[in-house]
Amino acid sequence: MLPDTINTYLLVSALLFAIGFLGVILRRNTLVIYMCLELMLVASTLALVAFSRFNRTMAGNVFVFFILTVAAAEVAVGLAIIVALFRRRQTLQADRFDELKN
Amino acid sequence: MTMAPPTLAFLVLLIPLASAVLIALVLRRRGGLASCVSLAAAAGLAVGAAYLALWGGRFSFHAEWFRLGEFSFPIGILYDDLAALMLSVVAVVGLCVHVFSLGYMRDDTAKARYFGGLSIFMFSMVGIVLSDNLFMMFAFWELVGFSSWLLINHWHEREAASDAAKKAFIVNRVGDVGFLLGIVLCYWRYGTVNLGELGALSASGAIFSSRAIPLLLFCGAVGKSAQLPLQVWLPDAMEGPTPVSALIHAATMVAAGIYMLCRIQVLMVPQALTVILWVGTATALYAALCATIQSDIKKALAYSTLSQLGYMVAAFGLGSISGGPGPGVASGVGAAMFHLTTHAFFKALLFLGSGSVILGCHHEQDIFRMGGLAGRMKFTFVAFTVGVAAISGLPFLSGFFSKDAILYLAFANNRPVFAVLAFTAALTAFYMVRLWRVVFLGAPRSQAAGHAHEGGWSLTAPLAILAVLALVGGYAGLYGHAFSGVLSLVPEAVGADHAFIFATSVVALLVGAGTALVLYGKRAAERGEGQAGPPDALERGAPVLFGALVRLRSSFDRVYDYYVAKVQQRFALVLNFFDVIVLAGFIIRGAAGCAGLVGLGARALNVGRVNAYVCWLLAGVVLLWALAAR
Amino acid sequence: MSSFLFTFFAVFTVGCALGVVVNRNAVNAAMCLLLSLLGVAALFVRLEAFLLAFLLLLVYAGAVVTLFLFIVMLLDVQGEPANRKRPGVLASAAAGGLLLAGVVSLSLKGRLAAADPAALSAPGASLKLYASELFTRYLLPVQVVGFLLLIAMLGVIVLSRKDEAAGRGKTG
Repeated sequence: MLPDTINTYLLVSALLFAIGFLGVILRRNTLVIYMCLELMLVASTLALVAFSRFNRTMAGNVFVFFILTVAAAEVAVGLAIIVALFRRRQTLQADRFDELKN
Repeated sequence: MTMAPPTLAFLVLLIPLASAVLIALVLRRRGGLASCVSLAAAAGLAVGAAYLALWGGRFSFHAEWFRLGEFSFPIGILYDDLAALMLSVVAVVGLCVHVFSLGYMRDDTAKARYFGGLSIFMFSMVGIVLSDNLFMMFAFWELVGFSSWLLINHWHEREAASDAAKKAFIVNRVGDVGFLLGIVLCYWRYGTVNLGELGALSASGAIFSSRAIPLLLFCGAVGKSAQLPLQVWLPDAMEGPTPVSALIHAATMVAAGIYMLCRIQVLMVPQALTVILWVGTATALYAALCATIQSDIKKALAYSTLSQLGYMVAAFGLGSISGGPGPGVASGVGAAMFHLTTHAFFKALLFLGSGSVILGCHHEQDIFRMGGLAGRMKFTFVAFTVGVAAISGLPFLSGFFSKDAILYLAFANNRPVFAVLAFTAALTAFYMVRLWRVVFLGAPRSQAAGHAHEGGWSLTAPLAILAVLALVGGYAGLYGHAFSGVLSLVPEAVGADHAFIFATSVVALLVGAGTALVLYGKRAAERGEGQAGPPDALERGAPVLFGALVRLRSSFDRVYDYYVAKVQQRFALVLNFFDVIVLAGFIIRGAAGCAGLVGLGARALNVGRVNAYVCWLLAGVVLLWALAAR
Repeated sequence: MSSFLFTFFAVFTVGCALGVVVNRNAVNAAMCLLLSLLGVAALFVRLEAFLLAFLLLLVYAGAVVTLFLFIVMLLDVQGEPANRKRPGVLASAAAGGLLLAGVVSLSLKGRLAAADPAALSAPGASLKLYASELFTRYLLPVQVVGFLLLIAMLGVIVLSRKDEAAGRGKTG
């Protein structure tokens, strides 16, 4: 069994973050990319809570509170943008959005 | 005149420059006016030079022209007896040539350029004569080379003329490399190139034992005075107009080398003098041999000039410091300058006479198409005869005295050289009398010669002046005390030596002249008339000897041609390859290509895809991480 | 026992995260995200941050992922085509793998003190403490975040306004 220490929590958080990042790079569906972005955010909240718990402060928890709020707002706006983008380009493949090429 | 001598000297220097500038700026198309301006400048120069020589006293003047850090470029005048003598010679001969050119170049289309060139030449030559330090002399040295190029190139539509001008300039340049090296070494070694200071250093006993410096400086004289092995340019330089040949390539410019040697006499060491002596002797002999086979009147006179220059250089080399039997170092200077003076007179006379002949025969230069001109061009004939007599060493003419001085010096210091020089004297008599006989006596050999006529006063007056000088120029008393500093150095034989030298020179004259008269005389000419084959009697009579002499004459040219074609051209091709391929190709275009590549690479990053941008973001983060974690 | 739970939930979370990345179908990916959020909430509970676990499930899993699902199904996107050879794939995979390896190794080398959690008391367990902190010390951020939400709402309304050409309905 894995030991229940700060290190393992951090390991899990790191893994989640890395997987999220991999998703951002490898996936081409914009919505899935966005989902992976959220995954990265969640990973960082896990790390914060773990630190807050093991250092016996409140700051980490409170910060996570705010992160959650901001993430929600961000998702709303981001999805609105994606919808608008879809309306214009009729596609969600990220590699089609290359009008800035060269 | 209340003008101070230094001021007058500068005026003398700058008058011809002013004339040249005026012609170049304003009178480009006004040939007649240009000739008058130039003549006026030459006259002014002559008057100034005469005044300075006779009443101006001797002085030296020094100023700084500009500074480069610690090095100051000096400008100054050293007007001693040597300079006075040379300046007078240059002025007199220059004036005669200017007058002659009025008539000779009357129908030329580019008179202004010609007279401008003459003025520039006078300026440069006076600059060489008056300068008191080697840097200034070198600057004027190069200017003289340039004027020579300009004037040889006068009829530049003729390819032979432009080739000859280039050849003269380049060969001179080769000598000038050595000259410049010598000047630099001198400056480095002695801290000064001022002639006065060098003289003072030498008098105070500072060690003057370098062999390299005088020999390197001699290289300049080898180039300018056309000694072996750089003599190849002088015969070709005859492509220029005849007055130019008279002024530059006989009397003054080529004598500048001798003059320079005399100026730097304090730097000489015995080993250097030996080298100089043998170079001069070899040149004298070689040129005399080549002169015997020439059929072009100007080329014959050119080789004669070469030979006499060899005499002067040999004379300088003979004045040794070794303290052996005979006169000391200064005698060489004296003998050389004496011969330079008399040679200037009679050689200019001979060239101007030949110019008169050429013009009279409607630009014919081959002596075997002249003949019988004695009757048709009496004045020229008389003047030319005086010149021939002087150069052959007819007793009591100027040339006789100067040549005797050299022979005496040789006899006292170096017997083998004496033998060679005596033989060369005989050869000199031979080819000069041959020239004289073929051109003036006998029957005319062509239509042009049959209708020859004398030129106007502008052609005959200079001949008269120079003839008089050639007759009496050897008597030192003529000059009064003006040049005593130099003329007192001329060695004079006494007693038994005197008789021996006298006899030697008379014998040489008789042998040479006699052979020429026999070979080219009336009977030989009559026998030769109507025979097919070469017109030259020597060529007919001794074809093997003639052929050998022809090959001898062209040997140097052949060697140089080979060197230029095979060695130098190949080296130039290698350098060209390096320049085009490596420098322009690799380095310059390569650098441009690299910049282009970087640009292309940067451009490839802008793909427009988000995923790629995130990748680059990651890369940047990792980099920052790595940097921060160090 | 607690250690087993921790292990189970940790593995569960990571596995579902992998599922998000790997799944072709966007809906499947969203469901996997949901499950991994569940796992993270469980881990929060283990860390005695009960409010946060609750909030996570409510806000994130309840609202955010639902929103995602709405959009996915609204936009009716076809599955991603097969991963044809495009230039960046290998490079990206390599980069991601490197990152993974990097973070993992770094975190494994961590030198933080291995305290036993059971011995310490968790401050975040007390709701009272939480509230007092929020409304005294962090009041300003709370107000600002409220303001931010307002702005976000306005932004969304503006962004999803209908233009003449498109005919899709507004999203909430």
